[in-house]
Amino acid sequence: MAAARCWRLVLRGPGLSLHTAAGAAVTAPEVTGPDVAAAPVARYPPLVASLTADSKAARQRRVERWQATVHAAKSVDEKLRILTKMQFMKYVVYPQTFALNADRWYQSFTKTVFLSGLPPPPPPAKPDTEPAPALDVAALRAAACDCLLQEHFFLRRKKRVPLYLEREAIASPFLDQLVASLTGLLSARNPALAAAALDCKRPVHFYWLRGEEIIPRGHRKGRVDALRYQINDKPHNQIRISKQLPEFVPLDYSVPVEVPVMNCKPDKLPLFKRQYENTIFIGTKTADPHCYGHTQFHLLPDKLKRERLLKQNCANQIEVVFRANAIASLFAWTGAQAMYQGFWSEADVTRPFVSQGVITDGKYFSFFCYQLNTLALTAQADQNNPRKNICWGTQNA
Amino acid sequence: MALASGSARLALARPGRLGLGSCGAPRRGAYEWGVRSTRKPEPPPPDRVYEIPGLEPITYAGKMHFMPGLARPVFPPWDPGWTPPKFRRLPPLHEHPLYKDQACYVFHQRCRLLEGVKQALWLTKTKLIEGLPEKVLSLADDPRNHIENQDECVLNVIFHARLWHSTEDIPKRETYCPVIVDSLIQLCKSRSQASFSGQTDLCPNNTLSTTWNRGSTLIQVHGSSGAQLNAKDPLPPIASREEVEATKNHVLETFYPISPTVGLQECNVYDVNDDTGFREGYPYPYPHTLYLLESANLRPHRFQPDQLRAKMILFAFGNALAQARLLYGNDTKVLEQPVVVQSVGTDGRVFQFLVLQLNTTDLASDEGVKNLVWLDSDQLLYAHFWCLPVVRRKAVVEPVGPTGFQPETFRKFLALYLHGAV
Repeated sequence: MAAARCWRLVLRGPGLSLHTAAGAAVTAPEVTGPDVAAAPVARYPPLVASLTADSKAARQRRVERWQATVHAAKSVDEKLRILTKMQFMKYVVYPQTFALNADRWYQSFTKTVFLSGLPPPPPPAKPDTEPAPALDVAALRAAACDCLLQEHFFLRRKKRVPLYLEREAIASPFLDQLVASLTGLLSARNPALAAAALDCKRPVHFYWLRGEEIIPRGHRKGRVDALRYQINDKPHNQIRISKQLPEFVPLDYSVPVEVPVMNCKPDKLPLFKRQYENTIFIGTKTADPHCYGHTQFHLLPDKLKRERLLKQNCANQIEVVFRANAIASLFAWTGAQAMYQGFWSEADVTRPFVSQGVITDGKYFSFFCYQLNTLALTAQADQNNPRKNICWGTQNA
Repeated sequence: MALASGSARLALARPGRLGLGSCGAPRRGAYEWGVRSTRKPEPPPPDRVYEIPGLEPITYAGKMHFMPGLARPVFPPWDPGWTPPKFRRLPPLHEHPLYKDQACYVFHQRCRLLEGVKQALWLTKTKLIEGLPEKVLSLADDPRNHIENQDECVLNVIFHARLWHSTEDIPKRETYCPVIVDSLIQLCKSRSQASFSGQTDLCPNNTLSTTWNRGSTLIQVHGSSGAQLNAKDPLPPIASREEVEATKNHVLETFYPISPTVGLQECNVYDVNDDTGFREGYPYPYPHTLYLLESANLRPHRFQPDQLRAKMILFAFGNALAQARLLYGNDTKVLEQPVVVQSVGTDGRVFQFLVLQLNTTDLASDEGVKNLVWLDSDQLLYAHFWCLPVVRRKAVVEPVGPTGFQPETFRKFLALYLHGAV
């Protein structure tokens, strides 16, 4: 007791801040007196960096405090709000772009590996489940032919459509009709499709951070800043389901192919920076039960049509256009789906998110599958992250 | 006045001085001769040499550049041979190839009939029956035709259309009205358990054109009505022959002194040929249901329910008449196989259902067999939708969601969709 009294007198001098801590330290040994084998109790509060100093440690502490608020957020809406409420200059990524070799750039932005061909087929169904009804390919073909003929031939339009509007005026309703009729015909075989929601030209938004740069000019010149990206996409049609699609490959599947690394700043692509609202949206709000994606359908605009690329001597860019669109759109969609489930760069996904995409220009179709294995793309989270996102795709036919 | 500086003061005192009229607009003359800053400079007057008769002036036209001492050449005015579309004037109406002396009263999709349903009934020689026919209502109540979890699915559709499908807090009617109709049709198509034999195909924008004589006036329905569902097989007739014969005694309601063509657009340039909107050989030739949407954001831009019902009657009638003429020829007669067309009109919340049976194409006289229409008006799907919760004194009084949900309306919608296939 005498020793404790001395200690209290000694420590009262420096300031009141240590008073309560000292009091706690004094009472603590009295409480844990009986079990001396317990872990050694801290006799002073944890030494942490300052919160307001102009130092790297203080900045780190502030960042960790912000990340703790995101972890502690009770609802997904609140989490998304905290992640997207601060607006800074960010690169606007357009999935349908005329930039050369855009697919390699987009792979580096999204840490995606591109494999040609389709993913490995799932293991065969167990024999005790009843066999699925045979696929009526003739009926599907007839339905597709009907849609084509309806738009191109049978429908009498009021005005002759001019050449530059032909694609939107004819291919767009054709794609709508095709998706609706095929969904209806295949819903007998696939009960998930029967309960699916079909969206027509609904926006899809995604916002993420990847990589770092040194700020070149301004009052923050010389400091390290993260690179921010935003995709604002409008797929022509998309199918959303309430149960997640099964994964193609396991979450930690290591692909031998490397993610392309670009040595220049994204401005070289060309990619431009703008500051506006950061949104994360899959096509519906978080309250919708159909929050997992199935397939997206995209129609390429007139600006990227085949004949135009051939005239510009960019014949090898035809495939690139399809691939870049698929990688960007599907990454945005799967990433937004994962964020709707509460995952983010510090809380990486625990199960892979899978979606499919079909990209067409009215005549040629390409099919893509995307598996999102990781959302941790920021510099801090990506240090020890071996996972990569995978995109499978076909040539267009 | 101390606030205005020198030239501004003059402008205020004498408004005509700066070329502006009394209310700040250019003077009337400015529109006719052009604003001074944009007028082309006048060409220089021709040389005096040209006034001497009999002399041929020597000009520098051959030298291709100015030469002092030689006369300025005068060229004939140049005719480009074509006019850009911006400056093309339409020929006067009398010279149009389709000009006819008899005026035709055209009904298009923005025509509001003054007398509403009464006028539409007179124009199409139709008898009105309130409520949907029993055949369709029995389809609605039959539990075999119901979708599993029907109410839950419809509520999800309403939530999606009114709240979830856009990033805004409160989506506007222009977006939510087509979304709700598309979702309801997709729900009917994909989940109805009844197996379809006659496939249907949805067509968003096709143009329709039919003309008929009503007394001495020529009436035409022209334009696109919105989404249309077509079927491989025609809808079976609903009213029996006795009921059809019984309509002979029905007298059409007139509304003297209002002319029956009020609200229709009178025009002299029109084409009399019928057009269903599709070419021959289309695999789904029979019109099944029309979906009319009133999706303008502002209330004055939307049709009143009465006007919407009149529009539904006229477009359904136009489709039926075009189909009848295609099947049975252009002669006016009483049809042995009546043609049936359905229609659904909505503004996203209130639904109007209509089934029209065309019994006769003899529309010139007021006597004889009449056509029949069953009309179910003002069916609410839900009374109101709260996009944000209503909070009074820190307690939630109304949660987010629809109030006054009526599942009966969707059952009728599904019955109209399945009619003819089941």
